[in-house]
Amino acid sequence: MLSFLPLLLLNALIPLGSANADYHERLLLRPLPQSAVLASFNFRSNETSTAFEEQNFRYFPRSLGQILQHARTKELHLRFSLGRWDAESWGERPWNGAREGGTGVELWAWIEGQSEEEAFSRWLTLTNALSGLFCASLNFIDATKTIRPVMSFQPEGNHANSSNLHLLHGTLPHEVVCTENLTPFVKLLPCKGKAGISSLLDGHKLFDASWQTMSIDVRPVCAAGGKDCILEMEQTVDMVLDIERSKRPRDNPIPRPLPIEEIACDESKPYNAADSCYPLEDSDGHQAAWNLTEIFGKPLKGACPLTAEEGENAHTVCVNSPPERTIQVNTTGPYLEANLAGDTVRCYKLPTGADFDLVFPSQQMTTGLVLATPPLFAARSINGHGQERGSVQAVIRNPSTSQAVEFVYLESLPWFMKPYLHTLRAHVSSSTENPIKETYYRPAVDRKRGTHLELRMLIPASSTLTLTYDFEKAILRYTEYPPDANRGFDVAPAIIRLITPPSSDGKGTYLRTTSLLLPLPTPDFSMPYNVIILTSTVMALGFGNIFNLLVRRFVGADEVQGTGGLKGMLVAKVARIRGMFGGS
Amino acid sequence: MDQQKAMLFGAAAAVRLLLFTAFPSLPQLLAGRVEVSTPVTSFKRLQEGVFLYTHNVSPYDGGVYHQAPLLLPLFSLLPNPASSPFATNLLFTAVDLLGASALMQIADSGQSVVTRLFKSSRKDLRWSSAAIAATFLFSPFTITTCIARSTSALTNLFILTAMAKASQGASFTFIFAMAMASYLAMHPILLFPPLVLLCYDARTIKSKTAPNPLAFTATHVLGFAAACGGLLGLSALLTGSWEFLAATYGVRLLLPDLTPNVGLWWYFFTEMFDSFREFFLGVFWLHVASYMPGLTIRLRTQPLFVATTLTGIFAVFTPYPSAADASLYLSLVPLFRHLFPLMRYTFLASATILYASFLGPAFYYLWIYAGSGNANFFYAITLVWSLGLSIVVGDSLYAALRDELDVERPELRGKEVKRI
Amino acid sequence: MALISTLLALRKDPRILKLPPYLSALCILVGVAWLLVLPLNEYSRNTYVSENALLPGQVHTYFTGSEHNVFRAYRHEVASLVDMPLEERNQKLVHILRSNKLKAATQSYSYAASGRNISNQNVYAVLQGPRADATEAIVLVASWLTIDGEVNHSGVALLLTLSRYFKRWSLWSKDIIFLISGDSTSGPQAWVDAYHDSHSPDTIESLSIKSGALQGAVAIEYPAGPWGHRFEKLHIIYDGINGQLPNLDLFNTAVSIASGQMGAGCTLQRMWKHDDNYKERLQTMLRGMISQGLGHATGPHSAFIPYHVDAITLQTVGDGWHDEMTLGRTVESLFRSLNNLLEHLHQSFFFYLLLQANRFVSIGTYLPSAMLIAVSFSITSIALWVLSGRPTSIPSPATTAPLKDSKGPTEKETNKTAVTVVEKDKDKSLLPLAALEVTERSLFLPVAFITLSHFLGLFPLYIFNNTTEAFLAPAFYSTAILTATLPFAAAFTLRRFARPTPQESTLIQCFSLLFLGMFLSALATVNFSLSFLVGIFASPLTFVRGLHAASSPSTPVPFTTKNRLALSAVMSVVLAALNPVVVIRAATLYWGRDIVQVLVQAAEGWHVWGLWTQVVVWLVWWPAWFAGSVVVAGGLFS
Repeated sequence: MLSFLPLLLLNALIPLGSANADYHERLLLRPLPQSAVLASFNFRSNETSTAFEEQNFRYFPRSLGQILQHARTKELHLRFSLGRWDAESWGERPWNGAREGGTGVELWAWIEGQSEEEAFSRWLTLTNALSGLFCASLNFIDATKTIRPVMSFQPEGNHANSSNLHLLHGTLPHEVVCTENLTPFVKLLPCKGKAGISSLLDGHKLFDASWQTMSIDVRPVCAAGGKDCILEMEQTVDMVLDIERSKRPRDNPIPRPLPIEEIACDESKPYNAADSCYPLEDSDGHQAAWNLTEIFGKPLKGACPLTAEEGENAHTVCVNSPPERTIQVNTTGPYLEANLAGDTVRCYKLPTGADFDLVFPSQQMTTGLVLATPPLFAARSINGHGQERGSVQAVIRNPSTSQAVEFVYLESLPWFMKPYLHTLRAHVSSSTENPIKETYYRPAVDRKRGTHLELRMLIPASSTLTLTYDFEKAILRYTEYPPDANRGFDVAPAIIRLITPPSSDGKGTYLRTTSLLLPLPTPDFSMPYNVIILTSTVMALGFGNIFNLLVRRFVGADEVQGTGGLKGMLVAKVARIRGMFGGS
Repeated sequence: MDQQKAMLFGAAAAVRLLLFTAFPSLPQLLAGRVEVSTPVTSFKRLQEGVFLYTHNVSPYDGGVYHQAPLLLPLFSLLPNPASSPFATNLLFTAVDLLGASALMQIADSGQSVVTRLFKSSRKDLRWSSAAIAATFLFSPFTITTCIARSTSALTNLFILTAMAKASQGASFTFIFAMAMASYLAMHPILLFPPLVLLCYDARTIKSKTAPNPLAFTATHVLGFAAACGGLLGLSALLTGSWEFLAATYGVRLLLPDLTPNVGLWWYFFTEMFDSFREFFLGVFWLHVASYMPGLTIRLRTQPLFVATTLTGIFAVFTPYPSAADASLYLSLVPLFRHLFPLMRYTFLASATILYASFLGPAFYYLWIYAGSGNANFFYAITLVWSLGLSIVVGDSLYAALRDELDVERPELRGKEVKRI
Repeated sequence: MALISTLLALRKDPRILKLPPYLSALCILVGVAWLLVLPLNEYSRNTYVSENALLPGQVHTYFTGSEHNVFRAYRHEVASLVDMPLEERNQKLVHILRSNKLKAATQSYSYAASGRNISNQNVYAVLQGPRADATEAIVLVASWLTIDGEVNHSGVALLLTLSRYFKRWSLWSKDIIFLISGDSTSGPQAWVDAYHDSHSPDTIESLSIKSGALQGAVAIEYPAGPWGHRFEKLHIIYDGINGQLPNLDLFNTAVSIASGQMGAGCTLQRMWKHDDNYKERLQTMLRGMISQGLGHATGPHSAFIPYHVDAITLQTVGDGWHDEMTLGRTVESLFRSLNNLLEHLHQSFFFYLLLQANRFVSIGTYLPSAMLIAVSFSITSIALWVLSGRPTSIPSPATTAPLKDSKGPTEKETNKTAVTVVEKDKDKSLLPLAALEVTERSLFLPVAFITLSHFLGLFPLYIFNNTTEAFLAPAFYSTAILTATLPFAAAFTLRRFARPTPQESTLIQCFSLLFLGMFLSALATVNFSLSFLVGIFASPLTFVRGLHAASSPSTPVPFTTKNRLALSAVMSVVLAALNPVVVIRAATLYWGRDIVQVLVQAAEGWHVWGLWTQVVVWLVWWPAWFAGSVVVAGGLFS
């Protein structure tokens, strides 16, 4: 019988660095059910805004800093994400979802500008520069993929004059995040992956994770009274590693069937024999053995020398697990262990210049993991079939038995997906009243901008909200289809921001649905010429016939040469041919 | 006669209301059929527009609603069709009945066979106005249009009214109806010249003296311009800006929405190279417009026939045609019963149209739902459909000219003729 | 245009009117002959994979070794579940799937068709692909009961083993859905309906777990019991509902993997031994056509195809040396291929007739045969139209051809005599009377009759779909008797009102044939086989004619008029034999099926699968037959 010990949430623990220290990094490991482990890296570097203005960068990467200055970007949020966060089994999202993005690439920023046009032109500058910096096709975020959210995002930083700040938001759901995005990401770090926790970041393991997201957040933080502002840049990498998969050596990644000897069989089965083996299910509470070097494929090369020497921030590797879990430290250098925020969080100060490894032996636990249930569950899918029309259905569930949840639901749809707002229906399982409190809708314009829909909704305790609306699919010009036209088009995930209960830190609580695949009707790409010819022929037939009737006049058949009928025609033809021969 | 008419109209209304009530899901189904409702006439888009309008979002600041602004207040007055559709259904039924009565007025005026300058030698060969109204009311195309509640039913009503009033020489109502039709669908404006001629002839017949042509034309043109201007101004007043022009007439002119329909334009401009798009848009519009002057001049003596033929041309060559336009033309053709004996491809054309109306949905299903056929299937059928209709148009035109010839040179009756 | 007008001028030539029957006969003959030559090498092609991404059989399969032991264990488990109650069984299956770290759930469904209640439960689980973003999914189906009603022991066990095995791979770029359907046809239907949310939630439970758009589905049937059974070949079933077929690429991939990579032969359409000669190719093709024409669900895959999800069923047949591992590795390789797909399958053919596992005929080659048959009806209807328009004595004013031929002298005479003076407002003119008269075609009765006969078809359609099993047999036989006698009754009653006149009966036939030809040519593009079969059985309708007593005693009396009664009787007998009801009964006798079972399945198809075949039979074929028979029977009573 397992006793359950609730784990403290770490979202409060991580950003505890005080403003004046300059560079912090921290790796938090949290075991998850089904032999998965969540590893969330967090790097923060500060720059006083005066130094930033004068362009002398210490920890703040020059490449990014200059882009921000050139594009007059005051606050920036950039996300690269892959996979799904499985809320049912993994519980609450890291950072309450404030540091993750929808599948693909997501970017939003507060940009200075006298007018919307100016802000938008700077936005284009920003996206183009960033796409160069991160080897991502961010430059494809054009007017049709850009929206201006009104309720869904709040600035995290302190902005002196927010009057001429413009929030712009764009997503690329089809962008496949991969190593070429990670490399520039790591390059932005002071230790460049040579030392410190960033030395664990390896493309192979990162993109083999069940879920991973990289984020960059730049925001101005000012002390009270708006004086001595600093520019804070926070980079995070969160990933959920399947221990079994990650432990495979890189040279032999194929999951061949294990030799039968290595499989634990269930002897209790009557038919259990040499040739039949019912695989023994690992009993709950059993923890698989793993260590850092195995699952990250690299050793942790000591501390990054730029981190603080003393204090809590010096402890850069933390493990959030029941105290009962045995952890062996394997290093040659000196290290420190400390318990932060109760005994469920064990943190380690890394030795400098020596490899550091944490070994988690296989163990049968008596206390199981308890994961905080997320405030909402959300799933979205396309109903109906056929390439003409369909309907989107979003199912949002409030698990809490006590408190209602108020949230903002943001949809950003491509222009060729035309929703019918009058078919929008929201209904709650528990009550009959309309959960929609406020609606912001900006319809799409063909080839100019996409649909932007924001709904503020209230969902009572322990009830399910179903949101549906119909849409129609446009047929595009054949030059507007991508090379893989028959795959369909990706529709960006819906973004949900919780209003109540408010988040403990100022970052807000977010969750995102998965993206959708929207198949469009396709023309035949091989026959523009045939179409032009055939259509023109039909028109010519119609026009020619009528024109013919209009301009000519009738006379009796017997008044002109050549009698009517087939015979007449033949005679005429023969005569003409004879004439030709006579002529030649 | 009146009793007969009452019975006819009663039956027609009964059929429609029965269909509405017996199959509540039928209207949505038909409203979604590309053959019946186009982006510029679809009732679903109209609902969306009304919804946005009533929620103070400009329906024209979006890519969905491309219909005339005056429809918005009209339909926002009606109860919501989603919950209580009866009023809307009644409205569309009434629209059809009014159209039918207008058609009867046209038939009664006899302008189809005997005009001021022309008297057909087969003038006795006519169908009663009731029979003609019946062909309109019970033609499957008209019924589907009505059930789909496509706004082109309104356009048809106003076109028919304009014709009826013109053939009676009632200038004011004619101008008003004409302006409404042009305001709703833009291309009916091409019907104005022939109908003015018709109105002129009718007026001359009524008051045995011919009014001064110039003055007559001037007044009517000015009146028409004034009416159109008034309507547009009213719309601008309603929506608070002129952006509706781009969203309604702009869409009809430039074809940004390539949703399939029975016409020839959509696939052509789907496959068209971007650099030539504008050029061909110009050419196509020029082509549509080019018929009007030619027909009007050549068939000066039969303006009603010119107008009818033009509606047939609209049904084929306009950017967003639908079964509704075809229904208008095919229900006007019986007015010229006396030309049938002279038409040569009747069976061919009607068989083509029938084939197309069966194969069209099948091929559309194959393309969109089964995924086993591609766009060319449906495109081929739209070609056939257009060809069938244009055969009817051309053939009836031939018959009309032949009929004229019989009057000019009676000795040629029943003889083989040639065109030189 | 000039050419057309000359042709139209030609149509007045009476010789043309003699032509159509021969023309139609020719069309039908050519159509049938066309079909018969298709199996020849010259007209069929070898199959090939056109979608480059599939790369069939290019991957090494690792489904061996200890997985075999696990499989055997699961097979024992499945065997132990057979006698359990439904709920318990499915809970156990869900437990196994969950212990393989998948998200699993159940779905209950219940249908009512012809008085029976089909209710059962599906078990399904979703493997979230590590590389996937929940936009695409592929399905592996193993129905608990096979098509033949056996328990699908090894199939279900294999599905469980594969779910455990697939979970370990990192390379899935699509989600994989494992579905254990309660039965082989309704279960998948309920599931796929619910997946696309086009189900009725009160009888069919909605799905609690969903994934992305389905890209393909593979069903496995391997009923070998707990002690296993080695099979010889894989039998690939590919017909979907209403004769819709999956993309040929999927079929080709399966064949090339099974035969090329695994060395297991493939067979289709129950042709257990096929040595690729003409006769067996033809047999395969005809079997394929019949099963396509019936349009019923042939396996768990059928339900997916109407949703544009390409699907096939792999069935193990015969005694050989292949064991479950061969099937497992085939499925693994197939799923690796589907996993490679970048786009929805669209490259290859959707319309094809298969002659053998790697030989097919594409639509361009076979469609003409069905079209010719449909055209034969249209030709006759056009001929009848022209015929109905021909006055006996007066030429129609549209006639512009100079009058000639047998009737020459009389015509000229009438033309000479019948002249009148037409008073015009200004001028006088001499006009031939004939030109002023018009041959009116009285269209009302024919149109009304055709509409009515199509309307009548609704009754049997309704009856057969909504009577309970017990009453189906009496319903069927009473319908048979009714339909057999109805034409004569109708003709007799019409005759009482001296209708239809010869012209009207001609027009009735004309319209009915026109509609038939139109329906069939439209149908040929959707379901070729059905259109072809109906066309063949309806072909005599183009040749029968309503014979009437000569209006004016003319000499010599034509042959047909002389022995009118005899001919009419013969034709009526022929038609009575081709009554759809009779044809159906004969077919069931020929294949030794019980008529009630057929009707029950048809009703199930109507209510569960959305089958159209009945509609075609009762609203297209039957009315045409009825109209034809009435016209013929008219000859008996005139």
